[in-house]
Amino acid sequence: MRMQCLDTKFFTSTSLVPMQLPSRMETHLWYVKPNEVKSEQLLNKYLEFLPKSEKEHVFSMRGDELRKGALLARALVRTTIARYQINQVSPRSLKFRKNIHGKPEVDWQQIEDWHPQQLHFNISHTESLVACGVTTHNPIGIDIEEKERKIKHSISSFAKRYFSQQEVQLLSSISDPEIQRQEFIKLWTLKEAYVKALGRGFSGSPFKTFTIRSAAASKESIHLSESSSFENSDIVVESLEDSTNHTGDWQFALLELAGSHYAAICSRKDCANIGSHPMKIGVWRTIPLVEDEYVSGTNSVIAVGGLM
Amino acid sequence: MASFTASSISFTPLSSSLNLNKGLAKSSVSLSINGISFPSHGLKSVSRRFSVSCAAKPETVDKVCEIVRKQLAIQPDVAVSGDSKFAALGADSLDTVEIVMGLEEEFGISVEEESAQTIATVQDAADLIENLVEKKGSA
Repeated sequence: MRMQCLDTKFFTSTSLVPMQLPSRMETHLWYVKPNEVKSEQLLNKYLEFLPKSEKEHVFSMRGDELRKGALLARALVRTTIARYQINQVSPRSLKFRKNIHGKPEVDWQQIEDWHPQQLHFNISHTESLVACGVTTHNPIGIDIEEKERKIKHSISSFAKRYFSQQEVQLLSSISDPEIQRQEFIKLWTLKEAYVKALGRGFSGSPFKTFTIRSAAASKESIHLSESSSFENSDIVVESLEDSTNHTGDWQFALLELAGSHYAAICSRKDCANIGSHPMKIGVWRTIPLVEDEYVSGTNSVIAVGGLM
Repeated sequence: MASFTASSISFTPLSSSLNLNKGLAKSSVSLSINGISFPSHGLKSVSRRFSVSCAAKPETVDKVCEIVRKQLAIQPDVAVSGDSKFAALGADSLDTVEIVMGLEEEFGISVEEESAQTIATVQDAADLIENLVEKKGSA
């Protein structure tokens, strides 16, 4: 295999630890914290992975932090997918395209020695965290938000404008404003993750047309934080449109990530998953090419709902 | 020749506070507009339309800029104008939805999901607003 000539011997593509694809019932989640990536040499290395069009996109962002975030998002998605390849593939050689609704996917045919994989991915990022979810055989959508995120409008007016009636009712039943804000953010991330998993775009699945709630909340107004003490802390989606939406096909997980974010993951249930088994998730904190740390089971990953 | 709506264009040696440009072409000139460096080979695709505004009034564009600035907490040294793309300013989906709500409140209009999806720049938003306000007026 040809080694690339670099400024430093540490930052090579072979520094990417190869990974086995997740099984059909598993989801892998990788995340980077921008404030942990300080080396300019490393950032330049990531930049080398990007084709011209992606570099231009990075440079079109207005401000250093935004540029860094955009760069890390592309570097994370490329290095993550490269890890799962059977042959050592350079992150640079991956090609992407969009499906008819605009959802990004890997274009396997464009890669030399291509080995098509049933690999699905989705990314989300905030100023302080970039995350990439990976599944096999089943589409995935993820969304992350800072726990402390404040919205400019009142939650009630926002919910009335964008959420379903049931969700509005649930949110307005919460008297503590801080808990209400947290529940709002969690609900937003779940709804975003669902729409991204469907891959039809925001207008393809308007937020008002479906309700996400905890399975325990059918009769009483139980919000997501309270439901974890119930036996069935499953998160479910209901369509308010016609019943052809197969909402029973989708499973959700909600977690607190790195102490700072809510992360919602939505994926289609595998056809082999006949019962209603909770999502199995493996989470890694990474600085691509430098270090990977498996953080499931630590304080960096706290289940809020839908997980075992 | 490149067409820009920015009022000043200066040629500076390759530089960037993140030093990201080192990864790019070795001998190329970088354009610096409002403190943002663009590699010269990228000019064609970073299309800055020469916009002849028979579209929205400047006051509308200004109001939109103001709402966007507030929502995204944009630093005073970052310019926001009709050409500015929401995504490039760091707007995520939650920001975009809040911006749309802010515009609805400010202008007394109602924006449909499909229309909201087509707004990519400040100019797009201003044009849509004037369209909706006009329709409202003639209804």
